[in-house]
Amino acid sequence: MIQNFLTMNGYGFYVWLSFAVTILSCSILYYKTYKTLKKYEKDFAKELIRLSELDRELVLKKSKVASQVFASYNKFI
Amino acid sequence: MLTNKVKKRISFLGLLLVSVVTAVFFILKSLSNNILYFKSPTEIKLSQDIVYTKKIRVGGMVKKNSIDISDKEIKFIITDLNNELVVSFKGTVPNLFSEGKGVVAEGRLQDKDFFIADRILAKHDEKYMPPELKDIMKKNVE
Amino acid sequence: MFDLINPSKIFYLIEKIINFINSIFFIILIIALTFALILSPPDYLQGDSVRIMYVHVPSAWIGLASFTSIALLSILNFIFKIKNLHLISKSIAPLGLMFTCLAIITGSLWGQPTWGTWWAWDARITSMVVLAIFYILFILANKLIEQKDKANKISNIIAIVGLANIPIIKFSVDWWNTLHQPSSIKLDGTSSIHSSMLLPLMLMFLVLLLYCALILLMKYKTEIIRIKKKNIKRI
Repeated sequence: MIQNFLTMNGYGFYVWLSFAVTILSCSILYYKTYKTLKKYEKDFAKELIRLSELDRELVLKKSKVASQVFASYNKFI
Repeated sequence: MLTNKVKKRISFLGLLLVSVVTAVFFILKSLSNNILYFKSPTEIKLSQDIVYTKKIRVGGMVKKNSIDISDKEIKFIITDLNNELVVSFKGTVPNLFSEGKGVVAEGRLQDKDFFIADRILAKHDEKYMPPELKDIMKKNVE
Repeated sequence: MFDLINPSKIFYLIEKIINFINSIFFIILIIALTFALILSPPDYLQGDSVRIMYVHVPSAWIGLASFTSIALLSILNFIFKIKNLHLISKSIAPLGLMFTCLAIITGSLWGQPTWGTWWAWDARITSMVVLAIFYILFILANKLIEQKDKANKISNIIAIVGLANIPIIKFSVDWWNTLHQPSSIKLDGTSSIHSSMLLPLMLMFLVLLLYCALILLMKYKTEIIRIKKKNIKRI
């Protein structure tokens, strides 16, 4: 049963390779997209930190997006 | 609501579309002989200008009960239900090669009824089903 | 209604959808793979090699659908000059290219055991290669042309011209003799695939669609952050 599952009655190489190629390329693209997103979150947080205390408080209070990104960055590190 | 600029762009796109479609149409038409991956036995029978030295592909169905395997070669008949062509081939055929199924043979014509192939490709149809179902269908036909 | 356009609401919504997809993605993926690789029967003719269909066909569909949407967005963008549309089509393009290439590669892996060849220059396969070339041209035009307006314009025109290739791909198997078999699932909804094989096909399609949604939402989120960062002082 397990033997059959692995060899696919002789088609194992083709079946497993095509699934592997698909999953691998999808993972690579996901990883790249994820990294870009994290990089921008980081840049954004750095920019925020560079602001004066007062300005930062103001931005975080006014913009939900900013506070969310900041929170997720803090959680990330 | 549509400004003049927008109207201009729409007409430009319309023109572009029409010209692309006509261009593609004529390109495909002039290439139509090359686009065909294979010829059917009928097309070979009807064609006037066959170059016997040139490699071509012939496709159709393997005629039932026509496969003849000997030590040296495998012989079978390709049919498109109107005309037939005898094919001879030395080598191994793909797994899916069998009677009543699609086939494409690559090689040279000897005359209008005889073809020597260097390569055999199997062509399958668009129907997919489990083996048990196929058996049931076969029984129903018999 | 106005709430929906509010960027912070959208951002919140995107976050929620991403989390939702993340939470169900692996469950659906495992179910789909179980059906595709274990529970579904082998084909009467092709045996277990038919399982390649479960990645090949959805990839091809997504490749075609992505290019069609890029072209339609490009038409709208070209006529009405809406900048955001171009951002959307630019983020769809890499996904579409990846799935088109996957369709070609898995098709090649399927062709060898069934047809007896890795490659055939038949109409369907050649037109898929042309589709990949159009994707590459579209992406390169955006990358290499420095003037933004010019890059937008040229890539839009590439996408619109490439639209002519889509019906050629779709109907290539009906118009010409090809090694590739005709479509199993017709435009009118009828299918020549047995239901026990149609289920894993649709499940895998759903998984890949969810994956695409995830990638696009993440890109959209990145874009919002990028814009916010630019105007950080003005928030």
